[in-house]
Amino acid sequence: MAATNSTPTQPAQRPLSPHLGIYRFTLTMAMSIVHRITGVGLYVGVLLLAWFLIAASMDASAFATFSWFIQSIIGRIVLFGFTWALFHHMLGGVRHFLWDAGYGLDDPEREQLAQATLIGGLVLTIVVWIVGYIVR
Amino acid sequence: MVGNDNSLRTPLSRVRFLGSARLGAEENWMIRVSSAALIPLTIAFVWLLLTLLHKDYNGVRSELGEPLPAIVLLLFVVVGAYHMQVGMRSVILDYIQGQAREWALMANSFFAAALGLACLYAVLRISFT
Repeated sequence: MAATNSTPTQPAQRPLSPHLGIYRFTLTMAMSIVHRITGVGLYVGVLLLAWFLIAASMDASAFATFSWFIQSIIGRIVLFGFTWALFHHMLGGVRHFLWDAGYGLDDPEREQLAQATLIGGLVLTIVVWIVGYIVR
Repeated sequence: MVGNDNSLRTPLSRVRFLGSARLGAEENWMIRVSSAALIPLTIAFVWLLLTLLHKDYNGVRSELGEPLPAIVLLLFVVVGAYHMQVGMRSVILDYIQGQAREWALMANSFFAAALGLACLYAVLRISFT
């Protein structure tokens, strides 16, 4: 080892493993990040399910409070976001299963798979909301 | 695990040849088992919510009082709470270090357990009252 000018008290400037700042942007990378974000979003969003179930188990006035919130503009936006996060995360899981089985890891397939997951999540969300508004 | 800063040994040399912790594969497998279960359960859950969408308090209660919707909800909540706990655990392990990590892991377990049990209790109460 050649001697360096750094003093012994300073930690050695070893190269760090490459991280987000050094890679170029790719769709699969963004999908990986969004998978985690939707997972955390669902983690918090399940509070809404708990509120719904607890209100329904209590009485009509508790349920009316929940109904008022979920029918408000903010409630609808939150529920729409929850629906999208649920479908996006679910399709992301399917994508991971395909990868685990050894499919879709190569260049064109993994990009197509990422696009299919992204579009599929949005389409499923919009279809479910259209059904929710139309079918009674 | 915090290394001893006074040691002359590098962190790498301290762990070299010890092998893996032999604990990673189980968590990896359980997130996949719960994922597989959650795919049909999520579809059934969304379907159930669509049937509940335009119902009032009594309509929702009579629908959730039926065995099949209640069982779908119970399965979704139990598997979902488990999946949540394991998933958030890996997020915490990635981003939080030191003692805060232990607190975060504990809070994660408490949150998932409390949420899961609260939902279970509510569904069972609707079914049996």
